[in-house]
Amino acid sequence: MSEHILEVRHLSKSFGSHQVLTDIDFNVSKGDVTCIIGASGSGKSTLLRCINLLETPTGGEILYHGQDVTGSRIDQCAYRAKVGMVFQSFNLFSNMTVLKNCVYGQVKVAKTDKAAAREKAMYYLGKVGMQEYINAKPDQLSGGQKQRVAIARALAMEPEILLFDEPTSALDPEMVGEVLDVMRNLARDGMTMLVVTHEMAFARDVSTRVVYMADGVIAEEGPPSQVMTDPVNPRTREFLARFL
Amino acid sequence: MLEKLFTDIAGIWNKYGMVYLDGIKNTVILATTATVIGCVIGLICGILNTIPVSSRDPLPKRIFLKIVRIILRVYVEVFRGTPMILQAVFIYYGIPYFFGVSFDSIWTVSIVVVSINTGAYMAESVRGGIMSIDIGQTEGAKAIGMNHWQTMTGVILPQAFRNILPQIGNNYIINIKDTSVMFIIGFSDFFAVHKMVSGAIFTYFPSAFMEMFGYLVLTLVASGLLRLLEKHMKGDKNYELASGDQLVMAAGTYKVPSSAEPFEERSREFGGKR
Ligand SMILES: Nc1ncnc2c1ncn2[C@@H]1O[C@H](COP(=O)(O)OP(=O)(O)O)[C@@H](O)[C@H]1O
Ligand SMILES: [Mg+2]
Repeated sequence: MSEHILEVRHLSKSFGSHQVLTDIDFNVSKGDVTCIIGASGSGKSTLLRCINLLETPTGGEILYHGQDVTGSRIDQCAYRAKVGMVFQSFNLFSNMTVLKNCVYGQVKVAKTDKAAAREKAMYYLGKVGMQEYINAKPDQLSGGQKQRVAIARALAMEPEILLFDEPTSALDPEMVGEVLDVMRNLARDGMTMLVVTHEMAFARDVSTRVVYMADGVIAEEGPPSQVMTDPVNPRTREFLARFL
Repeated sequence: MLEKLFTDIAGIWNKYGMVYLDGIKNTVILATTATVIGCVIGLICGILNTIPVSSRDPLPKRIFLKIVRIILRVYVEVFRGTPMILQAVFIYYGIPYFFGVSFDSIWTVSIVVVSINTGAYMAESVRGGIMSIDIGQTEGAKAIGMNHWQTMTGVILPQAFRNILPQIGNNYIINIKDTSVMFIIGFSDFFAVHKMVSGAIFTYFPSAFMEMFGYLVLTLVASGLLRLLEKHMKGDKNYELASGDQLVMAAGTYKVPSSAEPFEERSREFGGKR
């Protein structure tokens, strides 16, 4: 068995004739906080979606603890339950209260009993500072609150790794901070995270590794101190210059 | 004139009032049962129609789903595209013709016919209702490991159902009126009573007047009930912040797992399809 939680090998994805990801290779180990940066359209979302099997890769493999998950033989749902995802657009269940959003998956997928699921949901809602709002419906919350609930919902499944796809991009500026704070705390607690973001300060301060993507390939990767302050690839430098 | 009309109606009512009421009762039971069953059929069609297929699924599964979709398509087109009165005749006489068994009760045939007719319409409404729900919620459900059935029954259909309530109401009202065609196979609904009574005592107009009035009352009540249901399903506009008690109850009793379980222990549940 491998020491890595996740190994992405030669992953490629095309939509029809449009090649979006080419030969992507990287690993995620326990406790890693990997930030993926890159211009819009470079394939960051597609990469996360492939990892969570929301898209079917067209080539290569994704090994979860050494087992390939891209074939048809694995139980997709059980795998997804272990690999959480937080979306730009929150994707909360509109018909359920905040609490039920965090309980439903546990009960249905993880078969946790209701009382334990509720307790766990309350714990994680507390962690994101939303436990007062358990009776609210998603439509009654602000963007930042919704995203915090979405994070709690993902955490309640106790995933081994959590994927974030631009979690703050749909938020009003004043709400970005509250969500980033929650993510910072998660990183500090040792959560393994793979974060697509345009928040360069977050990437610099929180991540253990930064991956810069351009045109569907990994153009550069390394520790943030290197990639973000002393990039090797001129394209990385050019990209970063637009943010700093 | 009006006076004569009312005396006539009073006359009919005295003699046949119970028969009319009985017809109304049959109409309401048939229309209500068939609408409910039709909705269930529509929801099931919706679930079947949206089972995701991807190129990595094994071929037999893909073929099977393709066939299911074709069957559903044919079902919808046939039952939406032909008159219900003919469907009634077709099924009532067709089943004994081919299978040698006849229906033991006119009720069974009537409910079957109206239900599958309603189901065909509902299938299309449900399809529209499902499409009206943002795909993001489906992905949010998938991302925590929910399967198609769990996603549909727990997240998508409850919302789709709420969105298509007006169409369900429409179908209910249509059913209240259109179950009258079931007289063709001998079902004694409200309208059948009119034919029977007028045939016996030649009071076509007064009886028709009663029928018009009766149907109108029924459909008004039905649409009123649906409005209530709609309002009920909308739920509260406001929410309450969780109070001290609720928070205390849940606080601190949960222990964080010290570390994620190693994969080996989970691999039995993870590997292998269910
Ligand atoms: N479902 C899809 N069908 C076709 N093309 C897509 C689809 N999803 C993404 N793409 C294309 O793939 C490329 C990468 O998209 P995406 O992964 O969303 O980039 P990013 O998240 O880095 O902005 C874009 O050119 C986009 O148009
Ligand atoms: Mg994106």
